[in-house]
Amino acid sequence: MRRTTFHNGLRAWWYIVLLFLYGPLAIVVLFSFNSTRTYSSFRGFSLEWYAKLFANETIVNAIYNSLTLAIVSSILATVLGAILGYGMYRYRHLNLGWLIWLIYLPLVMPDIVYGISQMTFFVTINQATGLLEPGLLTMIIAHISFQIPFVALLVYSRLLQLDPLLFEATQDLYATPWQRAWYFIIPTLHAALISSFFLSFTLSIDDFVISFFTAGPESTTLPIFIWSAIKKGITPEINAIATLMIGAVFTAAAISYAIQRARPVSKPSQQ
Amino acid sequence: MLPSFYLMSVAFMSNGPYGLPQMPLTLQSFQELAGFGFLGWSPGNLYTLARSLWQTLIATGLVILIAYPLAYFISTQPPGRRPLMLLIVVVPSWTNQVIRAFGWMNILAPDAPLSSLAASADLIPSEMGLFPSNFAVVLGLVYNFLPFMVLPLYASFERLDAEIVQAAHDLYAKPINVFRHAILPQTLPGLMAGTVLVSIPAFGMYVIPELLGGGKSMMIGNLVARQFAAASNWPLGAAAALIMILATLGGLLVLRRLGRRLGGGKEVVL
Repeated sequence: MRRTTFHNGLRAWWYIVLLFLYGPLAIVVLFSFNSTRTYSSFRGFSLEWYAKLFANETIVNAIYNSLTLAIVSSILATVLGAILGYGMYRYRHLNLGWLIWLIYLPLVMPDIVYGISQMTFFVTINQATGLLEPGLLTMIIAHISFQIPFVALLVYSRLLQLDPLLFEATQDLYATPWQRAWYFIIPTLHAALISSFFLSFTLSIDDFVISFFTAGPESTTLPIFIWSAIKKGITPEINAIATLMIGAVFTAAAISYAIQRARPVSKPSQQ
Repeated sequence: MLPSFYLMSVAFMSNGPYGLPQMPLTLQSFQELAGFGFLGWSPGNLYTLARSLWQTLIATGLVILIAYPLAYFISTQPPGRRPLMLLIVVVPSWTNQVIRAFGWMNILAPDAPLSSLAASADLIPSEMGLFPSNFAVVLGLVYNFLPFMVLPLYASFERLDAEIVQAAHDLYAKPINVFRHAILPQTLPGLMAGTVLVSIPAFGMYVIPELLGGGKSMMIGNLVARQFAAASNWPLGAAAALIMILATLGGLLVLRRLGRRLGGGKEVVL
């Protein structure tokens, strides 16, 4: 008897927390369809703000910038991170504990500190040489540098699961280093590399703080655009963009869930 | 070639922090000291530091209180349903953090229903909204980091040995004692991991205090950012950033050690 009350309480708690988690997002979506500018009440359905959104060139540009940044940085970070991960594996007998700590550092460092240290670094170089003007390039470099540790650790942990004898086997077969990379290492790491790419992509799309501090005037991404718009005051247009981004995330989540359900046993790669 | 690449990327990653001290031209050699000194003199910055710690503490406590029953509830559900429930908890945190803070700004805005309610209960002056305020910052932090607590706790509950709990019941232990001696020790590793995952990023949070807090509830992240943007006192900013890094690492070490002692020698995985 008391147990069921307890359990009903837990169930109620679950719904309360769901409300807490989804309420703010739901409000954003709801008000993006509001026909007036107020936030006190909902006054009828309208798509006005969406129309304004796509007429706005800055926003279309920001979407383009966000995607370029995410795709380019993820590809490069996957390649460089995989090389780093392989290096960590290959030279693991050298007692590189302190180096691994260094690699961990960007993972645990507050992103504001990370963004600012990148910014000062770029600004210093820029003052000294005139290179690395803040813009898409500096953002790509910054993003790559925080994605690399994730990729490296993912690849490293995958390599640790392998039988070290396999590497000797390739040598016994007189494989050149390139052949070994092409026919053995890359196929083995296939799944880990794909998940690294998607992880990097998510990290990049999700990031605001690091982009914010390394961006230049021409390289506004979507989160930065929203940020500066919010700073000027809340408007329904922001709700409309935010709704589109929420929609994209939920679609991605639904797709990944569907894929997982379709292949319940074969959990791809990692850990 | 591979090791050089390896070292190069490592060097690149640490370049940022090392690049800092070269910047201030006037204070070159003792800028760190000056930064620390400055931080020591002016109470405003110390308040900010204290506030960051305090708000992190409150938010982490609230997150634990919310997440604990939730994680337990999920673990009592049929196994087929659990992944979906976890996904439901996690998905909101996949949206951009600026958008999440923006959602709360909508809800807490001055003329929104919740604010009017609080105003009519005399909790706040009627013309003001519920944000910007310390309350809004803590709320935002809790909202942001809840999933990071639910996941490790759930992992602990999933591995919970129910027979020990049953034995405690059979021995007529009071519910509170069942919890203390049978449930809590078993979920402690998850609790510690969750605390690390919540409190450390919460301490360094920038977006939430900036959007939901306004000038009066700055946290240390905002202090740092401000020194680099508007105030442009880079040495001070760098010193504060250094304190953040040290606090982060210190917190990490303390929690790890605590976790190792309380968690029965089990390593708390980051």
